[in-house]
Parts: sequence; C-alpha cells; structure tokens
Amino acid sequence: MEDAAPAVHVSPSPHIGSTSNSTRRMMIDVLIALTPAVAMAIYMFRVYALIHLGLCVATCLAAEYLFVRMRGKSISLNDFSAAVTGVILALSMPATAPWYASVIASAVAIGLGKIIFGGLGMNIFNPAMVGRAFVMISFAGAMGAAAYESGAGWVDAISQATPMNALKQSGTWTPIGDMFLGFTNGSLGETSALACLLGGLYLCYRRTASWEIPAGMIATVLVIAGIVDLVGGHGGRLILHHLFGGALLFGAFFIATDPVSSPLTPRGKAIFGIGIGALVMLLRFLSGYPEGVMFAVLLMNAVTPLINRWTIPRTFGEF
Amino acid sequence: MAETEKDPAEKKNRFQNNYILQAWLCISLALIFGISLAAVQAALGPVIIENKLNETKEKVPELLLGSETAQKMAADNKAFKITPRSIAVEKNGIKKFYSVFEARFEDGRLGGWVTKVDGQGYADKIELLIGLDPAIESITGLFILDQKETPGLGNKIIETKWRGQFAGKSTGDHLKVVKSGAKVANEIDAVTGATISSDSVVTIINKTITDLRQPLKDAGRMKKE
Amino acid sequence: MADQPTPLERFIRGILPENPVYRQLLGLCPTLAVTNSMKAAITMAAAVAFVLVCANTVTSLIRNLLKPHLRIVVFTLTIATFVTIADRLLAAYMYQMSKTLGPYIPLIIVNCLIICRCEVCASKQPVFTAISDAAGQSLGYGLALASVAGVREILGTGMFFGFRVLPATWPDWAVMVLPPGAFITLGLLLGAVNWYSGRGAK
Repeated sequence: MEDAAPAVHVSPSPHIGSTSNSTRRMMIDVLIALTPAVAMAIYMFRVYALIHLGLCVATCLAAEYLFVRMRGKSISLNDFSAAVTGVILALSMPATAPWYASVIASAVAIGLGKIIFGGLGMNIFNPAMVGRAFVMISFAGAMGAAAYESGAGWVDAISQATPMNALKQSGTWTPIGDMFLGFTNGSLGETSALACLLGGLYLCYRRTASWEIPAGMIATVLVIAGIVDLVGGHGGRLILHHLFGGALLFGAFFIATDPVSSPLTPRGKAIFGIGIGALVMLLRFLSGYPEGVMFAVLLMNAVTPLINRWTIPRTFGEF
Repeated sequence: MAETEKDPAEKKNRFQNNYILQAWLCISLALIFGISLAAVQAALGPVIIENKLNETKEKVPELLLGSETAQKMAADNKAFKITPRSIAVEKNGIKKFYSVFEARFEDGRLGGWVTKVDGQGYADKIELLIGLDPAIESITGLFILDQKETPGLGNKIIETKWRGQFAGKSTGDHLKVVKSGAKVANEIDAVTGATISSDSVVTIINKTITDLRQPLKDAGRMKKE
Repeated sequence: MADQPTPLERFIRGILPENPVYRQLLGLCPTLAVTNSMKAAITMAAAVAFVLVCANTVTSLIRNLLKPHLRIVVFTLTIATFVTIADRLLAAYMYQMSKTLGPYIPLIIVNCLIICRCEVCASKQPVFTAISDAAGQSLGYGLALASVAGVREILGTGMFFGFRVLPATWPDWAVMVLPPGAFITLGLLLGAVNWYSGRGAK
C-alpha cells in the first residue's frame, strides 16, 4: 500500500542541512573525548582495563545487534551509540570486577536500558548507568566499595582504598596531586581528574555536551563541599577530595550529559546538573555508599520529563 | 385523610426499604462466618501459640551451650526445662515487656536465659534470640530469627561465622562494631560492606542487655532463695 | 445466552487465554511481592486457590438471594472469612512459611482477582460452573506466580525449590531476589507472553 503513492516528505522549516550534529558525529566526538580517560585507565590498570573495555564494547555491540534484529528494525550499529555506552560502562567498572559483571551489565544496559523503551532516543535512563546499577546491586560483594581494594593483581593501585572510601571509612586523605593526575584506585575511567577535564572541555567546546550540566553539577558540589569543609575546618582538602577523588568529573562530563536522558532547554539542563550535584553530595555524606554519582544520575533522569515540562519555553505573547 | 392511614402500596414500599430487612443476608452471613471463625480460632489458636514458643525453644540448647554440647545433650535424650516469662522493664516512665525464656537443667539448676527481641535493621525489622549465661555475665549465643537485609551483604548476619563472634562476649561492656580485625574483647567485626546491618544487631543487643541485666539477675536470685 | 462457555471451557480459559496475571493483570501485588522463591509463590497460589474456590462456591450458592446494591459487601464478607481461615491454617501448620509471607496472606482480601471472579462469574452461575471457573483461574494464577518465581529464584540464588540447579560458582543475581527483580521479570514475561500470543494470532 505504501509504495502505491510516492510520497515526498518535506519537514517543516527551517531547512538547514547539516551533517555536523548527526548522532554518528556526536558519538565519534564522545569517543575522541574519552581517549585520555581510556589511555589513563589502560596505563593505570593495564590488563584489567583492556579486559573490561573489550568485554563491554563487544557485548554492547552484540546486544544491540541482537535486540534490534528481534524488534525487526534496521541495524543501527554504525551510529556508534552502543560502542559509546560500552566504553562508558567499562570505564565505570571497578578494575577487579568479575568478567560476568561486565557482560551482564552491558547486556542489561542495551536491553533494559535502551531497546526496551524503543531504542536510541527513547530511553528514560542513561543506559550505561542502568547496566551498572543492575550489577552493582546484584553482585554487591564483588562490585561494592570493598571490591576496589581486593589487591588481586600486580597493579599497585588496586590494593589501595579509593580516595572517597578511604575518607569515608578511616578519614585518610589522599594526596591531591595523585587524585588530579589519576594515580589512585577507583573505577577504571574516573581516577584521573585531568583526563576527564581534557575530554570534557573538548566535548563542551564541540557543543556535543551542553556545558550547563557539568557546570551546574560541579558548582553545586563545590558549594556544598565548601560549606562542609568550612564547618569542619578542613582547609580546602575536603572540597578537592570531592571534586577530584570520585567519579564526579567523569560523571559530569560523560554520563550526565547524555543528550537523550537529560532535559532539553538550557535552564532545564542547569537544574538537572544542580540536582545531580546535590544528590551526589547527599549520597556521599549520608548514605552507606562512598560514591553516589550513578544513583544521582539515575534519579535525576527520572525527573527529566518533569524538568522539561517546567522549563518549556513560552511563545512570545503567551502566558 | 388521617395521617395514620397509609395506602397498602406505600406500606409495602416502606417495608421493602427497611435497611435491616434489606441487609438480612449480610447480617446472617456475618453471624455464621463469625461463629465459624471463632471455632477456627478456638481450634488453631493454641497450636499457633505453641508454634511461636517452639520457634524459640528449639534454639535454646544451642544458644546456651553451643552446637556441639547441644547435640550431645540431645543425643543423651536430655532437655532443658523451659519456662517462658515476661519481664517488665521501666525506662523513662515507659514500661516495656521482654519475652524471656528461663532454661533449667533437669536437676533444676539454672542453665541460662534466652530472650527474643527485635529492632530496626537496614531494610526491615531484625528479630534476634540472645542467649545469656545464668549469672548474666556473658553472651552465650546469638540467633537471627527473622531479617530482610540486603541479599549478598546484610543477610550475612545469619551466617554462623559472624554470629559466632558474639559467644563469650562479656555483658559488662557495650559491644562495638569495627571494620575488620577486632582486637579488644568487646569488639565485633562488621560484615564486609554491611556496616549498618552489623551496627543494628549490636545496637539491639546492647540495648537489651542494658535493660535486662539487673531484672534478670534479680529474677535468678529470687528463684534461688 | 446460547454461547455461554461450558464449565470445562471456563476452566481452560483461566489457564492461559484469560490468565489472571498475564491477560487480566489482576492480583499483581502478590505476584511482585512473594515471588522471590518458589516455595513462597506456591504457598501463596495455594492460599489464593483455597479462598477463590470457597468464595466462588458460597457466592454461587447464595446468588439468588443477593441484593444488587449490597452484593459487594457480601462478597467482601465471604472473602475475608476464608482469608482469615487460610491465614490461621498457615500459622498453625506452616509457621515458618506464614512468617515469610507476612502481611501478604491477609492482603488476599483485597486481591481483585477474587472479587472479580465473584462478580463476573459466581454471582451469575450455578455452583459447578463457579467452581470450575475458580479452579481454572487459580491454576492460571499459580502458573503465573510460579513462572515469575522460577526465573527469580534460579537467577537470584541458583536454586529451584531450594535445590541447587546451577553450579555453586553461579554468581547470585541479588537484584532478582530484591523488589526491582520482580518488576523486571514480570515486565519481560508479560512482554514475552504478549509477543507469543500476538504471533499466534497472525
């Protein structure tokens, strides 16, 4: 029936042709921006990083292929979105996480995080974080704070406590320089603040990521940590720990900025960032977990439709 | 027309609209069901109460003597004589009742006390049995009756290895949870990754012992005299 | 009323074509709450079956005496009585299980599956029809609970009915035993059943 009437599809104006902001272009940008963090992860965690990166990317691509075929849609592997999900997921795993955690997390990220909602652009939650939350809750023993310090390998960093956990559990401060450059333990991609900043600034410069989200997040964390720092008299160490020590920068630039699950308007994006920042600090200070970026992002993803509704731009003259 | 006179149709109507008459089925059903429920309760009530007591009673020998001695005792066909008691503790003007089980050997010697307490855990209420020696000087054992803590982390409190730490601890000091490598006598190793669940159990135990130490000592002495 | 289904048809309908959980989306509260182990799910299904069959029988017996505007009161009264009996029986003879199921046994009173069957079937049909309808629906409900519980117990603990079916090295997917696992499993199974029956229709 469809081919009986040849249809010419003309979308409403404006008709500006541009290939620079296609999904594929954006995803390649994200991959480029992730290079410093990936390089740092491989340098710090060696074979562990390679294993997780390989497993996550391969499983994400395979899952995307499989699930998209099941839905009878055309294969969408070449927009690189599944690969990006895989890399981000791998970088958010602890180095000593078991192999099956990476595989399950990737399959869940693509299947439950994305395809089940209707594919790229329809998902409510950040797919990588859905996958990570699933394995984090499932294998709490192998993925939780204690897992980071299992000391199972010949890579020195793995036997240390993560900066956030060391601070929370025993009040030990990690040298600021190490945290900034990334010579500490942590999830694969989060250790180096410098690598995250480099990649993140590139993304913001390319307009692939909206600057409002990381700005709102980091500013909120600075303010809350600053107040706690002042009250506790830590002389700025606490602020720097919260800024460089955990997954904050990685989350701010690469996870929270996912264009699908974050709000549309600049004002909405700022609110979104502030919300994540506040939740991160709440979780870090008051919950049983040393880190809270993952849950904060997922929680704010859930209120994104509400933020969109609040910040809908008014047509001039209408009230 | 006089007011007292009504035409038959209206009379019938009023009869039909009478609430009580309309509800005759509900009322009689309620009556029948009520009586049958009372019968069920009368028949099953004692069994249920027995179940509740047995749940604790079964654990008493192991809690007081440790599993090896308890097994030996069962093999020798000996058993404790267990008397359930309710001990009232008044604190800040509020009376609280503890359910305590007094266990005596067959020769009448006091074997120890087991108390059933509950308190808030990480996810839900945790229900514990705490075994205490006759003089209330040390804890003889701990058993988790009911808990809904996180699988894989918090629910490890039910494992014998973790519970075993409590046996032999003195009731004189408050117990304290430490991350790992408990050294001092009153320290308890936390379950890895489940500090809150571990803390909850220890808090319940500390509170119970503080409340019950004196009353139980008194109760034990009274019986002796 | 020529095309009234026979009692046997009603029984079969309850199992899949009109499955309470997968087709009517009724009684989802216990489906989500008590399906983290097969034992709990089967006990729950048995309790629901007991209440449903008894309530349907009583309702069907008194169907000619019902006043339309008081029928819901009578249904609730009947259901509540049998739920209380089921609850007491469990506490007396399966004490541990009754503790595990906790408030979910008393909550059968508000399980819409039962009042639905009383309303649409038992209050209009003779006793035998009502009983076979109740039996079919209960069986369908039990199968639905068991399917969710089976997936959750195997993935979450590597066991089935408390027996180890997966190797001991199986990493337990704790999330499947926790509440989110119930939602995920039920959602996926619902999708699968819809997909399967949709395919059959074509």
